[in-house]
Amino acid sequence: MLARLAKRLAWAVFTVWAVVTLTFVIYNVLPEDPAQVIAGPQARPADVDRIRMQLGLDRPLLSRYGSYMTRLVRFGPPSGEKDDSSFQLVGPVRIDLGVSYLKGRPVHELLGKALPPTLLLGALAIFVQVGVGAIGGLIAANRRHTVFDWGTVALTLVGISAPTFLTGLALQHFLARQTRWFPIDGYGDTFSEHLHSGILPAMTIGLFGAAYYTRLVRDEMIVLLKQDYIRTARAKGQNELQVLFRHALRNALMPLVTVIGLNMGILVGGAIVTEQIFRWPGIGRLSVHAIQEHDGPVIMGVVILFSTVVVLSNLLVDLSYAALDPRARQ
Amino acid sequence: MRSIRKKIDGSWGALAVAASILSMGCSSEVKAPIGENRDVEPQRGGVLRTASFTNLRSLDAAVAFDTLAAAIESLIYDRLVAYGPRSTKIVPQLAETLDISDDGLRYTFTLRRGVLFHDGNELRAADVKRSIERAFHPKTPCPVASYYSDIVGHQEYRDGQAPELRGVRVEGDYVVVVELSKPSAPFIHLMTLPIVAPVCASAGKTYDREFSKKACGTGPFKLEKFEHGQIVRVVRHDGYWQKGRPYLDAVEWSLSMQSFAQRLKFEDGDLDFMRDFNATDSLLYRSSAKWKGYGEWESPMTTAGVFMNTEMPPFDNRHVRRAVSHALDRQQVVMVRKGHAVPHYKMVPEAITPSVDDYPSQKTDVSLALEEMRLAGHAFDPKTGKGGIDTEIRYMALLDSFGQQAAEVFQQHLARIGVRIKIDLVSWPTFLAKVTRRKTVAMGTAGWHADYPEPSTFFEPILTSRAIADEASQNYAFFSNSEFDDAIERAIRTTDSSERTRLYRRAEEIVAEEAPWAVTHAYRYFELWHPYVHGYRPHPVLSQHLPDAWIDREGARLARSARRGNCWQVAPGAGRCRQAPHRPRTTLALVVGDR
Repeated sequence: MLARLAKRLAWAVFTVWAVVTLTFVIYNVLPEDPAQVIAGPQARPADVDRIRMQLGLDRPLLSRYGSYMTRLVRFGPPSGEKDDSSFQLVGPVRIDLGVSYLKGRPVHELLGKALPPTLLLGALAIFVQVGVGAIGGLIAANRRHTVFDWGTVALTLVGISAPTFLTGLALQHFLARQTRWFPIDGYGDTFSEHLHSGILPAMTIGLFGAAYYTRLVRDEMIVLLKQDYIRTARAKGQNELQVLFRHALRNALMPLVTVIGLNMGILVGGAIVTEQIFRWPGIGRLSVHAIQEHDGPVIMGVVILFSTVVVLSNLLVDLSYAALDPRARQ
Repeated sequence: MRSIRKKIDGSWGALAVAASILSMGCSSEVKAPIGENRDVEPQRGGVLRTASFTNLRSLDAAVAFDTLAAAIESLIYDRLVAYGPRSTKIVPQLAETLDISDDGLRYTFTLRRGVLFHDGNELRAADVKRSIERAFHPKTPCPVASYYSDIVGHQEYRDGQAPELRGVRVEGDYVVVVELSKPSAPFIHLMTLPIVAPVCASAGKTYDREFSKKACGTGPFKLEKFEHGQIVRVVRHDGYWQKGRPYLDAVEWSLSMQSFAQRLKFEDGDLDFMRDFNATDSLLYRSSAKWKGYGEWESPMTTAGVFMNTEMPPFDNRHVRRAVSHALDRQQVVMVRKGHAVPHYKMVPEAITPSVDDYPSQKTDVSLALEEMRLAGHAFDPKTGKGGIDTEIRYMALLDSFGQQAAEVFQQHLARIGVRIKIDLVSWPTFLAKVTRRKTVAMGTAGWHADYPEPSTFFEPILTSRAIADEASQNYAFFSNSEFDDAIERAIRTTDSSERTRLYRRAEEIVAEEAPWAVTHAYRYFELWHPYVHGYRPHPVLSQHLPDAWIDREGARLARSARRGNCWQVAPGAGRCRQAPHRPRTTLALVVGDR
């Protein structure tokens, strides 16, 4: 088991390195010039040249890659210099993601500020997705060939088809502006305000996933409810709720867990649009601004963070299989 | 059967709720403004809330140079000289007097006494020198440092070869002298930019990235909060040198807010002032009688059109460039965003150089365009469609921009004279990188925003030979004309204003004749505010210039009340609320209740 874990971790590190290297190369071979974006359209060539030199963008690609990678992970105490942008990861290991070209802040500081809102939004969105998906799918399967079942199937079709920007604007208009139940956008100052502000963006992301999960759980449950062990459970005299939740749903959640793990990337993709619409100060919004302004260090920081998250979440899914399904432990 | 009916009832009930909700959003009417413009004296207090579609990178005076930053910086940093209220005339601000020597080389600024920084220290001449040196320090990524290259010793200091900027001298506690190596007509305008504004000692002598978060100057407001992509809040500087000013307690900008959300918040009184309208909303508000008197156009200090790379075929032939210039229908392209775009025929905007006395300009005339095509050796017959330029020309425009829509119109105009273009749509960073690279882009969207209201800002940085570079060229057309260069150089250097006017006119003539750009339009913004906002009108030079704004607090209180749904509109005579019409919340409750 430990050997398997070590092997998976080694693959995880390799995957992150490969993604980081690929991103670095793509970002740097694009015809865009960060110095020019920083300087703006009104700047003169001499000023752009100076900024390019200050950022070290006049050096060859390989040299820049070497500096980036050697600076990225290092061992030892902080340099103590005023412009040290590294942070301590664990023990003597320090990570230095550099400084944002445009915001002038260390990238880890920007990510650190953007991560809690993204995690909160992700958690709320998963709650909406799984909650609505599991319950909707369960009821639709249990009430098969009824209006509820047909309605659920129709609604999931709409949910899957509707793009997040449209859902977001519609929710903003109807549930924030018209009914005033929620803020139109923003993040608020206190935790309760964060939660309150997070409901609409979570619904925006969550509705798409919920529609998908509803279908998934419904189809899985339809198959499971025909299984012998379900008939046995009913024959033993267990009530319908026990049959559904203890026996059927637990097994139906297996594919759901897999899909949640694999969908982490999609969740982040959804959050990029949603965070922009709702002015949610998360990683998605940070990424949009970084891409629009060609802010390399931030783009690299986001890629490193999310490739790590996606790789680790997939690892966790594999491990959770073992916990949920005894056959997988062998 | 009973259970099925129950299910059907439940489903239809839910559908009814959905239909009811959807019906709420179908109105294209704009809501009336909140409150009314009462005849009251200027009063202190209140918070003005506005928003911007864009993000704000920095508030460090030495490095921030975009439109939004300039608007906020004008509240935080006073300059030695500034533009007068609603005027392009330069007046002393922190300087009490300004003396310019007859040869135009020596500017002597005598500072006001008792001007306090936000940290409580008094402004002295040494602070001015420190601030200017900080902006031009070799380590400061100042985007426009080279604008100030006429200051004596600027280049040595910028290159790190001199410990101080020789051309800025302190003569006593309150006198600063700036010496130039050559006379410069735009120099006094450059002194109005925040780049050279005095900053607190906490800013240090060199660039420090932390300063943006604690920006500190001598302006009427001091920075309280700056969160990237979220909010900027400035509060009144109680020690401001102009007694009784500013009126407002605070000004708040919500950053990176979509125009859709801005409109919703503006209508509900959550924003007091708005500028980032989408095309439809702008039209709705402008045509609404309810909003008459509460909105105004900003003066367009821009020029836009099409650049043609004079080093690349077919635009290395001036007749082709002239043909393009004559073929573009200015009146038609502005219809793409009616009101916001105005037809424009010359480089310098009307607000700076009015077109009087048959002022040289480009003109739309398809027959002239066809004649130029013939002279270029690409004769085109519109009836048969034969002739013209064989190859398709790549035209670069920004994705999802007015430039994209304009390009699609230009495509039709140019087809009439046998010029076929293919539009390449790219992101802003790609656009900047490509159009500024030598022999890379043949033609594309051109635009320029005035840094100051002086004609040279439209000629010198974008059409002179010295603006050409292999990379990061500001001269997108790579236009090189010695007579033009000479005219601009002499206009900048002369101290004779009538000679300068003549030279700028000649420069405009050359642009019309040589057509490195086909100037087609100027873009302007429409600004709108609630009736309780007073003292604001768009400034002819400065965007969103709010230092003199004030709020009728009673009106604002009613607006807040309206936002909560208790009050819809202030009745004439004020102080009373009209009862709010039925809110959708009620509608929803009824539908749910009916179930």
